[in-house]
Amino acid sequence: MKRVFAFALAAVLLHAAQAAAQTIKITPLARDGQVLVSFNLTDGFNDDVRAAIHSGMNITFQYQVDLRRSTTLWLDRTIASAVVSASVRFDTLTRKYQFTRMHDGRTLLSDMTDSYDVVRQWLTGFEKLPLFNSRTLERNSEYYVRVRATKSPRTAPFIWPWAGHDVMGQVKFTFLPH
Amino acid sequence: MTTIRDARPALPPRPFRPPPAAIERRPFRDNPRLILLGIVLLIAALAAMVTLTDQSRELSPDFLSGVVLYALSAADLTILVVLLFVLARYIVKLAVERRRGLPFSRFRFKLVLALLGLTIIPSVLVLLVGGRLIRDSTQRWFSAPIEDVVSSARNIALELYREREKHVAAHASRMAREMPAGAVAAANLDAVRAAVKSEVTQGRVKLVEVFRLERGQPVPLVAVESPTMPRGPARPSADRFAARIAAGSTDSAAFDPLDAGGELVRSGAVIRDAGGTPVGVVIASDLLSTELAAQSRRITAAYEGYTQLQVLKRPLEGVYLSFFLMMTLMILLSATWTGWYLAKRITRPVQLLAAGAREIGAGRLDHRIEPETRDEFGSLVEAFNTMAGELAASQKKLERSRVDLERKNIELDERRRYIETVVERIATGVISMDADGRIETINSAALRLLEVDRSVIGSLADDVLAREDLRPLDILLRHMRSGGSDPAAQELALAREGRELHLAAAMTPLLGEEGDPSGAVLVFDDVTPLIRAQRVAAWRDVARRLAHEIKNPLTPIQLCAERMRRHFSGAPPASRALVEECTTTIVGEVESLKDLVDEFAQFARMPAPRTVPSDLNALLTETLALYNGLFREIRIERRLAEALPPVRVDVEQIRRVVINLVDNAVEALGGSGAQARPNADTPFIVVETQLDAVNGVARIIVADNGPGISPADRDKLFMPYYSTKRRGSGLGLAIVRRIVAEHGGSIEVGDHTPAGTVFTIELPV
Repeated sequence: MKRVFAFALAAVLLHAAQAAAQTIKITPLARDGQVLVSFNLTDGFNDDVRAAIHSGMNITFQYQVDLRRSTTLWLDRTIASAVVSASVRFDTLTRKYQFTRMHDGRTLLSDMTDSYDVVRQWLTGFEKLPLFNSRTLERNSEYYVRVRATKSPRTAPFIWPWAGHDVMGQVKFTFLPH
Repeated sequence: MTTIRDARPALPPRPFRPPPAAIERRPFRDNPRLILLGIVLLIAALAAMVTLTDQSRELSPDFLSGVVLYALSAADLTILVVLLFVLARYIVKLAVERRRGLPFSRFRFKLVLALLGLTIIPSVLVLLVGGRLIRDSTQRWFSAPIEDVVSSARNIALELYREREKHVAAHASRMAREMPAGAVAAANLDAVRAAVKSEVTQGRVKLVEVFRLERGQPVPLVAVESPTMPRGPARPSADRFAARIAAGSTDSAAFDPLDAGGELVRSGAVIRDAGGTPVGVVIASDLLSTELAAQSRRITAAYEGYTQLQVLKRPLEGVYLSFFLMMTLMILLSATWTGWYLAKRITRPVQLLAAGAREIGAGRLDHRIEPETRDEFGSLVEAFNTMAGELAASQKKLERSRVDLERKNIELDERRRYIETVVERIATGVISMDADGRIETINSAALRLLEVDRSVIGSLADDVLAREDLRPLDILLRHMRSGGSDPAAQELALAREGRELHLAAAMTPLLGEEGDPSGAVLVFDDVTPLIRAQRVAAWRDVARRLAHEIKNPLTPIQLCAERMRRHFSGAPPASRALVEECTTTIVGEVESLKDLVDEFAQFARMPAPRTVPSDLNALLTETLALYNGLFREIRIERRLAEALPPVRVDVEQIRRVVINLVDNAVEALGGSGAQARPNADTPFIVVETQLDAVNGVARIIVADNGPGISPADRDKLFMPYYSTKRRGSGLGLAIVRRIVAEHGGSIEVGDHTPAGTVFTIELPV
């Protein structure tokens, strides 16, 4: 019983430690009637991810990006949402990485490389993605962009039922259209 | 009707079935269908999980490590929370039940703990052993020999591909260097084909494709392939690969699977002119046979499966451990619930019986317990209900008897009150005594006749009747004391202020149920008026006879005397004077005798009064007017009551009564010779009327301040031929009493304060 309890506790703690180690750096930018979002998942590639990729599994990083506005006396309001995903599959015979980027189900990019660094950058770093329309935003109002990242398949031995994502980050910005 | 409803609908007919006034929702534990459904769902969930686990190899890693693991983790946590909640609830209920002092709370908790203890040990052991087995099994999956074999096989395949890749790359680089750049730039197909043809014909590569660069974009120029190459549609992958090579990609190798089987190993190189300017791209391809490619892919797939299994080792362990944990928790939860359920099933009938007994004890005999089972407890409940029904029936009988008894008691009480009222109101005196001779009851007539008060109740009759005037009653008490069971009757005469009170008394001994003396009842009636009436009747008879016998010779006597007077009218004066004197005396006495006889006759022939409503005040006023101016020294005063209602009287007879009484009073005061008294106490007569509305009588009171009547004479005063006057016939007051009596009234004589006599007549209004 102690071992089971220790196992469960270790799983929960490991999950929490991994989530705490990972962060998402987010940079929103309002430009040309759109909100361009750049974000980068740091420490998202650990040994487990590397092993999972090199096992030939299809590894997907899914990012739920929400443009939200704070509300004083109620729950924050979500202005718009977008789902960006990046997946990679490693061919263990040819040692090439086939990766794909998608935005709300549409394929943005699909390419092949034999560089692990390139793959890591493609999976965790996104630059100026035009995800939201800024025409509905109010000038000089404060918004924030929240990004929740989830990796699948999961490699944790236990899933906390109330954890819908692995890591989350958010950053505020004041809408000043150019 | 209060009933505990927890019954199953399929039970046999019961002696008691309450009306289905309100449909109550049965709890889960008492609903077999719900219990069966729950068990089926539980088994189905377990079967699904077993199946899921069995097919986990076929499941995608995403589904396995996501959905399945998530579901199991959520289920484990949920069951754990439910188990903790159930245990906490039972503990709280136990605490509450113990505080309330409810029975069987400890028994239930002990049973739950026993079942939990019985199941928790094997369950935890299974969990520990299973977890250990899972970890050992997963470790065994990744044992060194297997990993070495798989890795080595994969490395062989990998090396084969690398070798082919290097081989093709070397040829591609060499062909790019030896390729005439001018021919490529000028699109001289023959020259280019000639340059590469030998590569194919000599078998160094299977396929050579040359592209010419036009503004940096590769354009197919020449393609030479071996006849052994499988035929198929154009392969656009070569164009994309050439473009990548032209773009300077470092990735100079590519692998293209063929539709007909096999795989092309491609490698490209840029063709440059003498100045180093790219003019084209050459791509050399070698063919991996279908068998070789398939074997290599199978080796790679096995390796990937193995490594993926390693990656998913922890989620898989998590799935299996979560499954075991869930099984353990479900067993514990089931054991806890089953323990509580069994405890409820065992103790509930006893609790119901205890509660039912309390209800019956509290008097609610219509309380019933509805049997929930058909086992021994059900029989016990049936017996309890039968007992309660019989108790209820007995109580109803008792209630009816009580009501009947109450009604009879009320009737008896009413009858007793009626008898008491009758006894109290009757003119007959009644005294009841107990066996010891103590007076228990005495009615008003007895109090009045014996002149005692109610304080004698409880006193010995001997002591009460020991009074001098009541001694004649002692003869009856002696009869009671002698133990005689027959009634004893006696006429008695008690002295009352110089008068005689005649009583007809009877002593009746009371006997108990066994014949033993339990007391006596003394009954006595005032028969004085009766005796008086008998005497008056006797006197009337005497008067009639006397009048008849005396009156007849009086007329001859008178005629003879008058004849003698006429005969001796011529006689000498002395004789004539003597005769005159004698005859005058004889005639006078005869006249007196005639008057006396007439009065006797009148007494004997007193007619029945003819009553009419009359004004007594007017009657008295008219009567007293006859005395105006007759007696100067006697003051006759009238005190007439106002608003005196009419009284039914015979006016002439009542007038005669009043005249008789006033004449007696005048005579008592001295008549015409009455004189004023030295103490200025004027002789007077008061005639007064009164109304006693309470007793319904009108009174005529005639009082004087004369010498009065001695008590010894009062009783004889109304007797015929009794007179205190020298020349009285003795019939005046006798006639007065008779007239008053025939009017339904009464007359009494008493002393007048300070002196004299007062006559009081009462006439019914």
